[in-house]
Amino acid sequence: MSDTIDHPRLLAEIDEEVRRRRESGDLPAGFERELDLVFARFAPVHAVGDDFAQVLERTEQSTHVDVLAPTASRTPAVGLAKRVIRKAVIWEMRYVAQQVSTFAFGVTRAVRLLGDRVDGLEQAAPGAGGKFLAMARAAAPALDTSRWATAVVDAVQDAPGRVVHAECGDGALVARMNQAGVDAYGVGPVDQVPPPGLEVRVDEALVHLRAVPDASLGGVVLSGCVDLLPLGTLSEMAALARAKLAPGGVAVVLATKPECWAGVAADLAPGRPLHPKTWCQLLGAGGVSSVEVVEGPTDYAVVARLPG
Amino acid sequence: MVAVHQFIPTFAPRDAIGTHALHAQRILRDMGIDSDIYAGGSRGARPGQVHSLRSFARRAARSAEGTWLLYQLSTGSAVFDFLMERPEPKLVNYHNITDPSLYRAWEPGVAVELGEGRRQLRELAPRVELGIAVSEFNRADLEEAGYARTTVAPVLVDLEEGRVSPDPATSRALAKAKSGGGADWLFVGRLAPHKCQHDVVRAFAAYRAAYDPRARLHLVGGTGSHAYRVTLERYLAGLGLAGAVTIAGSVRQSVLAAVYRNADVFVCLSEHEGFCVPIVEAMRERVPVVAFAATAVPETVAGAAVLLPTKDPMTVAAAVSRVLGDEVLRKQLADAGEERASHFTLERAGRRFRTVMEDLLQGAEAGCA
Repeated sequence: MSDTIDHPRLLAEIDEEVRRRRESGDLPAGFERELDLVFARFAPVHAVGDDFAQVLERTEQSTHVDVLAPTASRTPAVGLAKRVIRKAVIWEMRYVAQQVSTFAFGVTRAVRLLGDRVDGLEQAAPGAGGKFLAMARAAAPALDTSRWATAVVDAVQDAPGRVVHAECGDGALVARMNQAGVDAYGVGPVDQVPPPGLEVRVDEALVHLRAVPDASLGGVVLSGCVDLLPLGTLSEMAALARAKLAPGGVAVVLATKPECWAGVAADLAPGRPLHPKTWCQLLGAGGVSSVEVVEGPTDYAVVARLPG
Repeated sequence: MVAVHQFIPTFAPRDAIGTHALHAQRILRDMGIDSDIYAGGSRGARPGQVHSLRSFARRAARSAEGTWLLYQLSTGSAVFDFLMERPEPKLVNYHNITDPSLYRAWEPGVAVELGEGRRQLRELAPRVELGIAVSEFNRADLEEAGYARTTVAPVLVDLEEGRVSPDPATSRALAKAKSGGGADWLFVGRLAPHKCQHDVVRAFAAYRAAYDPRARLHLVGGTGSHAYRVTLERYLAGLGLAGAVTIAGSVRQSVLAAVYRNADVFVCLSEHEGFCVPIVEAMRERVPVVAFAATAVPETVAGAAVLLPTKDPMTVAAAVSRVLGDEVLRKQLADAGEERASHFTLERAGRRFRTVMEDLLQGAEAGCA
C-alpha cells in the first residue's frame, strides 16, 4: 500500500530541512520558547511546569473566584435564560465565592511563608539553586569546550536523535556539532540572545531534562553545571540523562578535575566537581554498554553509551 | 432465545460509542439475537432507543437464561457496579480510557472518572468471558489489565454516512478565503487536553512564521473541556492568531464535508487516541495526514501518513511544508490513505464483529465459553 513512500528517508529529509531553517535564522531567536511562555500564561497552573515562583504566582492569581459565569450562546433564548439564572443566583454565588477566595488566599499565603522559610534554609545550606549558585557560575573558570569539540563530535556523530548540550555557554560546542551535521541544540541558564542560526533554550539543565520525554534524545552533553551542583542533584541529572536517551544514545560529561578546583567558585558553589570514576558509576548505574574516560591536564570527558 | 444486551455509561446516538452500539445492536438483531441498549443516562436518544438499568433488572428477573451482557467501556461509571452484581456472563467492548494524568490539571472531576474507569477495567477482568478491543493498541491495554481472552473488532462507524453534499455556504466561505492564498490546516476532534490542539496551534504558528504567513487552521469538534477551550482561545489571542484559526465547534455533517473537502492537510498531534475516526475520515477524503506517532495512531494509519516521533513545532511545520510542496508525495499519501480508509468500512467492521459474536456463542453452546 504505502511501499512507495520511503518513510525513514522522508523523516531524515524533514529533520534536515528543520536544521537548515534554524541555521538560516528564518525564525526569530527564542520563537519556540515564546510559544511556550504564552501558553504557560493561560494554562492551568500545574499544566505548565515545576517552577515554584511561577506556580505560586499563578495560584495567587486564581484565588479570586469569578462569579460571573459566561452567558454567551449561539441560541438567543439560551443566552437569555443563562443571564436570568446568573442574575437570580449571583447573591448566593458571591457569598460562597467570598469564603472560597478567603480560604484559597490563606492557603497560598501560608505556602508563600513556607517558601520564604525554605529560602532561609537554602541560604544557610545552599542547595541546587539560589544566589550562591548564580555567583559561583559567574566566578567559575569556563571549561574550555573547544579542547573537547573533536571528542564530543566523534561521540555523538551517529546519535539516534537530537543532541542537547547543557549548559552550553556561548554555544560554541553546539555550533561545532551543527557544522559536523549533528542536530544539536543548547540549554543555558542565562537569558542571552543566541548567535543567529543556533537554537539555544533558556532553562536550567535539570529543569529542561525533566521536561523532555523519555527516550527522545540521541545525545546529552553536560558541562558547566556539573562542576557546581551538589551530589544529589548530579545523581538525578545522571539518571535523567540516561532516561531521556533513546536506545543507542550517548551521554557525555565534560568536567573539571577535583584537584584543580579552587578559588571563589569553589567557596560559593553548593557542590564540587566529581572524580571521573564517580561519573562512571552514576552513568553506569542504569545499564550502559560502555563507559570511557578521556583525561586532559585539568579536565576530563566521560562518554557513556546505551545499548542500541 | 439468545440475548446480548449492551450497557453504556451515557448513551448519545451521535457520539462514536453511541453509534457503535446502535450498529452492534442492528448486527446482533440481524443474527436473530435479542439485543437492547441500557444506559446509566442518555442525551438525545429517541423514545424506546435506550432503556434504564432498573428496567433491565425487572426484565432479567423473568428470563436470564442465554443472556449476555456487553459493556461498552470508555470511562468510570456506576454501570460497572450494576454489572458486578449481575450473574449473567459478561463481555467488554473496550474503546480505551484516556490517561487520567492528561486531564488532572484541566478537569479534575473527569480525571477521577477516568482513574475509576481504569480501576473498574481491572476489576472486571476475571469476570469477563471476552474482551473485544477496537484496535490492537486497546487489546494490549486489556491484556495488561488482566483479560485472559481478547480479540480485535474495529469500531463500527459508517464513513459513508458522512459522505453528504458539502454545505454550499460553508464551501463558498472557505473557497473565498482560499482564493487569497495560504494553506488550510485541519484537525477534527473534541477540544480536550489529550487531543492537544494547543500543540497544533504551536506548529501552525511556526509554519506561518517560516513558510506561509497566510495559512489558516480549522479546529472542528465539540468542547470536551471548558477550561481547555478557554485556554486555547486565550492562547490564540496571545499569539495574535485569532484571525487565522477557526474554532468551529460541533458542526453538521454537511459542514464537516465542506471542511474536509477544503483542507490541504490534516494535522493530528494527540497525546492519546484509542483509534481516531477523524484520521480515517481525512484519509477517505484523500486529505494527506501528518500525525504524532502516539498510542493507536500508527496502527490506524498503517504507513499511510507522515508519522512524526516528535511534536516539535518546527518539525511539524517542515513536515506539512514538505507534504504540501511535494506533488508526488501528496498523491502517494492520498492514494495510500484512501486505500487504508477502505479497511474501515462499516461492512468490513460489521463482518468482523459478527464473526466474533458467532464464535463466542458457538463456543458457549459447545460448553467452552
